[in-house]
Amino acid sequence: MLPKLRISGVLLILGLIVEALSLLWNNAFSFMSFVVIGGFLFASGMLLFLYSLVSSKTSAFDN
Amino acid sequence: MIGPQTLVFLLIGASILLILVVVIRPSITASRQGKIIAFLALFIVPLVAAGVGASEHMERSEQTQFCLSCHIMEPYGRSLYVDDKAYIPAAHFQNHRIPADKACYTCHTDYAMFGTIHAKMEGLHHVYVYWFGTPMNPIRLYQPYNNRECLHCHSGARSFEESPTHTAMMGDLKSNKISCATGGCHDTFHNVDQLGHVKFWKPTE
Repeated sequence: MLPKLRISGVLLILGLIVEALSLLWNNAFSFMSFVVIGGFLFASGMLLFLYSLVSSKTSAFDN
Repeated sequence: MIGPQTLVFLLIGASILLILVVVIRPSITASRQGKIIAFLALFIVPLVAAGVGASEHMERSEQTQFCLSCHIMEPYGRSLYVDDKAYIPAAHFQNHRIPADKACYTCHTDYAMFGTIHAKMEGLHHVYVYWFGTPMNPIRLYQPYNNRECLHCHSGARSFEESPTHTAMMGDLKSNKISCATGGCHDTFHNVDQLGHVKFWKPTE
């Protein structure tokens, strides 16, 4: 589970960096960067995190 | 005073810091509190940050500057400075009858239920076609211009309501049977193919 968490975190950080950069300009290119690149990184990071929760034998919420 | 953009950047910064805690020390998820932190850091906070960012982008996409950032729209931007009051968009823009910083959006959104969503979807389609397709040449509206968009501001305005011409056909105007734009009354718009033959207004700084 831990490597998945790390990869998920890195993807989310990259998504947030893309979001921050896209907000520096106000044009169609920055909007598309946010939607396409940022959206892909966000979705991947979150889905990987959710997958890590359900795929782990000892789920993050077992205790 | 902190602006909305600064708030978004602060949220992004806080989100990155929180994620870094989990990335650098994933072992914290062994404890119950750590699991809660991981859930917040890797799901809730990024979701909020992305939502706020998307909202900010949607707000900015209403600005004239955004619409004119596509090269194909450049002549339409220039047409707002034509020094001729017969040009409806130019007269509205230059006299601030519409907000100058949201000129395109103000006239080209739908003032109907879900009109804003419809306008945003069309805007996304424009951007998609501009980047990945072939934009139509010359650019045309998808549908004939609806009087509803004019009447959103003009209806109830004294100069409009008291005009004998308008009064005589008010019913037809409100039911869109006679178009304000193509009924022979107010039919000079961007006319971008004529821009080489017109005089331009230069705003004073």
